[in-house]
Amino acid sequence: MDAGTLREGEGRSFVGGMHIPEYKSLTNDVPIRRMAIPDRVIVPLMQHSGAPCEPLVQVGATVQLGQKIGDSEEFISAPVHATLSGTVVAIERRTHPAGEAVECVVIEGKGEQGEFVPVAKNNPDQMSPEELKDAIKEAGLVGMGGAAFPTYVNINTRQPVDTLILNGAECEPFLTCDHRLMVERADELITGADILMRCIGAKKTFIGIESNKLDAIRILSSKTKAREDMEVVPLAVKYPQGYKSYLIKTITGRDVPRGARSAALGCIVRNVGTTFAVYEAVVHGKPFIERIITVSGPEVPNRGNYIVRLGTPADFILREAGVDPNQLAGNKVIFGGPMTGLAQSDLNVPVVKNTTGVLVLPSELVREQVPYTACVRCGVCVERCPNWLYPHQLSILSEYGMYEEMQQWDIWDCIECGVCAYVCPSQRPIVHFVKRAKTVIDNMS
Amino acid sequence: MKQSALIVTPPPHLKLERTVGGAMRDVMLALLPISAVSVYFYHAFALKLISLCVVTALATEYVFRRARGQRVTLSDGSAALTGLFVALLFSPTTPVLTAMLATFLAVGVAKELMGGLGRNRLNPALFGRVAIIFLAPLLPFLNQIPLYWSVDTVTRATPLAKLAQGWDMPSTWELFVAFPGGALSETSPLALLVGAAFLLYRGHIRWHIPVSMLASIFVLTFILGQNPVQHLVTGGIMLGAFFMATDWVTSPITKQGKLIFGFAIGVLVVIFRLFLPPPEGVAFSILIMNAFVPLLERVTRRASFSEPVSAPTTG
Repeated sequence: MDAGTLREGEGRSFVGGMHIPEYKSLTNDVPIRRMAIPDRVIVPLMQHSGAPCEPLVQVGATVQLGQKIGDSEEFISAPVHATLSGTVVAIERRTHPAGEAVECVVIEGKGEQGEFVPVAKNNPDQMSPEELKDAIKEAGLVGMGGAAFPTYVNINTRQPVDTLILNGAECEPFLTCDHRLMVERADELITGADILMRCIGAKKTFIGIESNKLDAIRILSSKTKAREDMEVVPLAVKYPQGYKSYLIKTITGRDVPRGARSAALGCIVRNVGTTFAVYEAVVHGKPFIERIITVSGPEVPNRGNYIVRLGTPADFILREAGVDPNQLAGNKVIFGGPMTGLAQSDLNVPVVKNTTGVLVLPSELVREQVPYTACVRCGVCVERCPNWLYPHQLSILSEYGMYEEMQQWDIWDCIECGVCAYVCPSQRPIVHFVKRAKTVIDNMS
Repeated sequence: MKQSALIVTPPPHLKLERTVGGAMRDVMLALLPISAVSVYFYHAFALKLISLCVVTALATEYVFRRARGQRVTLSDGSAALTGLFVALLFSPTTPVLTAMLATFLAVGVAKELMGGLGRNRLNPALFGRVAIIFLAPLLPFLNQIPLYWSVDTVTRATPLAKLAQGWDMPSTWELFVAFPGGALSETSPLALLVGAAFLLYRGHIRWHIPVSMLASIFVLTFILGQNPVQHLVTGGIMLGAFFMATDWVTSPITKQGKLIFGFAIGVLVVIFRLFLPPPEGVAFSILIMNAFVPLLERVTRRASFSEPVSAPTTG
């Protein structure tokens, strides 16, 4: 497809899903800015899927920005680093944006921050794939689009992987941090992709971008025009286009059976934010200490796309964005996008590695707890389910506690994207039903 | 610091203004043209029948829900809509008690006793209509209060009766646009199509059931040497195809299931019309197929996106 004549909304797609109001114009032309650094950060030792880290520091210790403060012996894990130079004032359980309390290192610091402690300082062109992977592991990189799966584990595959897919779909409404990154950091992103290709031995990189980001498509198309091994793929604007399986199917046509690791499909998908972090980690030796997030909401005065230190508490971010955290009655504060992100009750929660945004949504826009009613079998959830499941059936079975039957209806294939609950005319909390049932089934076995 | 006034509910957080009540209102709106035509032909008799059935439906749901200690949900419009459907299924000569009993059976038995909206297996309005066919002969007192006092203006042989008796028929075009005779809903296929177009446009119904049902009737009657178009524009076929067989609760949720469901209804309608004695063949056909919905859904279940197509590739 020619990027020059591409119109908004055009592009390849998958079967299922739907267009959802985007609300991206609130922030999609706001350049990335660096947010002020707080005096206190809360760094959870669990910011990834896998095993939690053990703290490497004690209360009272002086730490430097970028110093590794938590690590694990387990294969599936990712180290965490000090995101502030200062003193460790507490190591205790604090609320994580995912809901439960996890062990966190609380650091206080003021004044001169200086340079971060680099994880490795080498010329990337002279590094072997193994050395590149080690740098990525030491930097603590995880999937930044939401899954938070350790990047090192993902790329540490012995199977041949011919294809790298950069995920620039950013299909969640409101979020624009990946969009701005692709527009403003295109060269660095391409360098990051080159590094990842060398790590996994890929021959081709596809950059999948929803066509509501025409400027990003044009910039990356022109920068990769001369290259045979990189191609920008415009995608239709349809949620949840950015989910890994649908992206693989859309771009490569390959089926993604349950349980198959993407490496087994000859395909690795990395979020563009993660790819940029790979560039920073390898080229500048920068550990994962900060990320770009979208701070948005129709009534947020200084909404935009900010580089924030990991561990920055929500109330600090809200104040920086011109929102008084004490005047938020009747609003929802969401970490992540409005379809899969989580509403927060405690504004001390910190930004973590997979926080894509902090949204303040007024009550007109959001679902509240309303008494849901019986399924009327309108069938729209079935039509829209991107995984071709029967969400209405799952929700009814869950109501009756029929968890065994839910497995027969492929509950484990559900990606919890939220489309079913979004369209439900009976306001049934279908995703909530599914999550609860998954927990119960897990505890039964 | 707990911000207790923050709204905290599970994702997804965005809301779509799409409610059951809104859909019911749209269906009522879609029934406005046919209701208007029936009032045009039958004057106050149509109005009286419609109001009688709607009020009876609302009262029935209220009583059943209160008696069973459930939340009264008249505002979702479901009871009123069922009442309107029942009225449209009757001719203007229907006695008061007959119409009331049919509505009571539709809302009280076929819907509320089955567990309420969403849990009923049979189309409530059709259930009420068909139950009356069996009950009326057993309950002669039903005829004691007629809906009208002057019969002359409204009693006419229906086109279907004329067809059966070999009378001169009005032209197919007349039958299609508007022609009095029979039930309120049988006065104008055109008005029903206008309403159906609205429902399709609003996304409340899909094309699969009406198209497969009408197509199977057309083809079968043609093969059997009948005039297919005349069949399509007479009796309850249009109302059945677009408004009754497409009822969310009592039709299959799968696309293939919808196609088979519509096709089978069409076959049954033709059998009823050409070979079986009872009237209301469309109602019977849809009710029979309502019972097959769980089976149809089972055999037409699609595989999950994640279902392995063949042996997993290992590179």
